[in-house]
Amino acid sequence: MAMKSLVSVICTCVLTATATADAQSFTSELSVVTGGSSEEVAILGTQARLFGELESEIRVYVEGAWATRSDAETDAFGGAYPYAGRLQLVEAYAERIVHGSRWLAGARLGRYRTPFGIYSRGDHAYTGFLRAPLIRYDGYYGLSNHFLEGGANLIVGTPSVNAEVSLGVPQDIGTAVRRPGFDPVVHVQAYRGSLVVGFSHLRSKPYERRSFARGQMVFTGVDVRWMQNGIQLRGEYIAGRPFDSVSTDGWYVDAMVHKPALGPFTLVGRVEDLDYEAGRRSAFNTRYTAGGRVQLTTAIAGHFNVLHQTEPLANGKKTGIDVGLTVTLRHGW
Amino acid sequence: MSSLLAAALWFASLATAAIHLDVQGTARLGDTPEPDVVVWLESPALSRSMDSRRTVLDQRNLRFSPRVLAVQVGTIVDFPNNDRVFHNVFSFRDGKKFDLGLYPIGSVKRVTFDKPGVSRIFCNIHPQMAAYVVAVDSPAFAVSDDTGAFTLRGVPEGSYTYHAWRAGTQPLTGSVTLRPGQPLDIRWP
Repeated sequence: MAMKSLVSVICTCVLTATATADAQSFTSELSVVTGGSSEEVAILGTQARLFGELESEIRVYVEGAWATRSDAETDAFGGAYPYAGRLQLVEAYAERIVHGSRWLAGARLGRYRTPFGIYSRGDHAYTGFLRAPLIRYDGYYGLSNHFLEGGANLIVGTPSVNAEVSLGVPQDIGTAVRRPGFDPVVHVQAYRGSLVVGFSHLRSKPYERRSFARGQMVFTGVDVRWMQNGIQLRGEYIAGRPFDSVSTDGWYVDAMVHKPALGPFTLVGRVEDLDYEAGRRSAFNTRYTAGGRVQLTTAIAGHFNVLHQTEPLANGKKTGIDVGLTVTLRHGW
Repeated sequence: MSSLLAAALWFASLATAAIHLDVQGTARLGDTPEPDVVVWLESPALSRSMDSRRTVLDQRNLRFSPRVLAVQVGTIVDFPNNDRVFHNVFSFRDGKKFDLGLYPIGSVKRVTFDKPGVSRIFCNIHPQMAAYVVAVDSPAFAVSDDTGAFTLRGVPEGSYTYHAWRAGTQPLTGSVTLRPGQPLDIRWP
């Protein structure tokens, strides 16, 4: 009851705060991605977005995606969008954020990505990596990048330290779709200098069928980001269970280097590990990825990844190559 | 006698004082009005105030606003993050080189544009975000709006060298004598 009252108070304060914007502005964006992998898979995907701000300073974000691939047995190109072969609504929300120099409050209502750790689309979609971290791919009993929440996401605190709370129900896309149920997520984040440290906790329903997966999905994570002088380091450690009697824990560390001497190239590297403890079905994997992103024109970017892992890929080999091309068109009003 | 002398001096000063104009103009590419064109004037007659100036290049809804910002050399530009995601503003190709590091919503970082030039501004996390800051060594400058129109305010009547810049083409330079009611039209062929 107290939580419900708190949510009502924050939503009311945020939505009724004095608006100062003098005009509405919107941006539409269309991204088309195509690529291929040595795992003998080819993909084609597209995402359409509309986002912007009303005169009332309420921000709106709507995103739909369509993508297909020739083989579903691989995690190649699974960064932030599923390959369902049909048009899907991804995010659709309205939000209002108000802040001063020492305080911050916001409310997001609708359908949005699960606010756990490093979760935004921009962090995982075509930043130079063509696969999601193992711990964030929906086929590996971890915390899927395709998890979505339907409900209210509140943020309060200061720019330096803030807490984000999501109260909603699962609205996932992809192959890991959680069963219905109340789905709280907490993300606390602190920032100093160019270092950002976060802590996340999620309690939800499993995405496997009820007869196979009992109990709760519970994950806890720590995320760290640092960026300066064109070098970004980021990583997450996530541990928990996708359902009772098994456990999953994993981590990844990404390095992204974008220096003047590299021109249009951004170099990327990732080291990661995933452990799924489930008796006879246990799986352990360590993967190394190196590659880059090249901005060919304002609208076109190419991506290439070479990866090696301790367990065989879908094609039986331990080393793979992924190549992708993204075209993004933007129009502002 | 002294009153007469004062009056004479006042009339003399009126006669020699420059008339300050609001010069209106239009920037075009061919026959098409061109937005986001920076126009500035150069002349020894233009006074260069050393007062500290300040302006804002906002980061909001995953884009910079305005997309083209013109400032006088010495201006401090605030780069507030008004998005819920982190931004990392940088410029390292031309003009002012800087990297503001990672910072969240509610935070502001500042850069002083202390020499003339065009700085291309990007976000290291969101490659689609791009803007230009054009620092000019002149107090008389303007940026054209969506209809290509611009206004140079408070310019003394006289002869000037004008400059015009737009992204992706060579800057234009020319001479103009500004008189009341005379527009300044800029046109790239």
